[in-house]
Amino acid sequence: MDRIQIPATPRSPEVDFDFTAGRFRLSGESYPEDAAAFFGPLLQSLRTHLAASGSDPIVFEVALVYFNSSSAKALMNLFMRLEDAAGDGRRVTIRWLHAEGDETIAEAGEDFASDFSHARFDLVETSQTGD
Amino acid sequence: MLARDFKSFFETSKRNGIILSFGGDISENVLFSLGEVLKLRMIQGETDATIAKRVFSIFVEQAQNIIRYSADKLPGAKASCGMISAGMIVVGVENARFFVVCGNEVPKADAAILHERLDHIAGMSSEELKRFYREKLRQIPDEGSLGGSIGLIEIARRSSAPVEFEFHDLGGERSLFCLKAYI
Repeated sequence: MDRIQIPATPRSPEVDFDFTAGRFRLSGESYPEDAAAFFGPLLQSLRTHLAASGSDPIVFEVALVYFNSSSAKALMNLFMRLEDAAGDGRRVTIRWLHAEGDETIAEAGEDFASDFSHARFDLVETSQTGD
Repeated sequence: MLARDFKSFFETSKRNGIILSFGGDISENVLFSLGEVLKLRMIQGETDATIAKRVFSIFVEQAQNIIRYSADKLPGAKASCGMISAGMIVVGVENARFFVVCGNEVPKADAAILHERLDHIAGMSSEELKRFYREKLRQIPDEGSLGGSIGLIEIARRSSAPVEFEFHDLGGERSLFCLKAYI
């Protein structure tokens, strides 16, 4: 599947879904005008990829600094697909990045972490200045 | 008269600690612009970063609730530019605590459901809110919801006190719904 690269806007995240490499990344702010329209096609392509590409390992990195509740819902939908794939034997790692001292994002990561039992969920603290 | 009337309006706002107030038609673009100035205002006021994030988060959820659920929608808004809905949103500081208030008209039929939902949420501890939020994230949205059913829980979770809310009968088929959250 073709790589999906979408630049960040002030309210929607940068997207890099590199299907061939098995590397996926979302970063930046996420409170798009229409979360369903933004995330829907991404969810669809992830599903298609998971159904088609055997058992190549996947690393899914999330480095969001803010996301609204509609985006949280969309993230959950992406994560549920990844957890299912891990349950079917694929090696899946989710890397949840949060800046040092950012309790809100760290806590959100802990919330999501509890939903995974097959996929590996890493909470990664980064320095304030970058990720 | 003009300046004097507006002076009293400005002074009342200031006295009530209001740093941002908007009333009228709200679109996603209006939300974005108000959110940008709110962020700048908090940076300029050296607001603690965690508090600023909570204020911003509650502001976004409340503004999106107005856009999605206000009964007073601007007709003819094209699907491509999203919904435009009337309401008011106010951010201020009271006794050193931030607050965000929103108000909008809702159909009376929705008011009863919303009241029930808010009663439930307002009575929850932070641990219970956390659990409820996670439960809702995994569910398909409530009927009639545009995916924002967890928006209210998010507001309650980011608040430092139970959310305050009230419905005022406007006669006819509508009620005015107000929600105030302290951060």
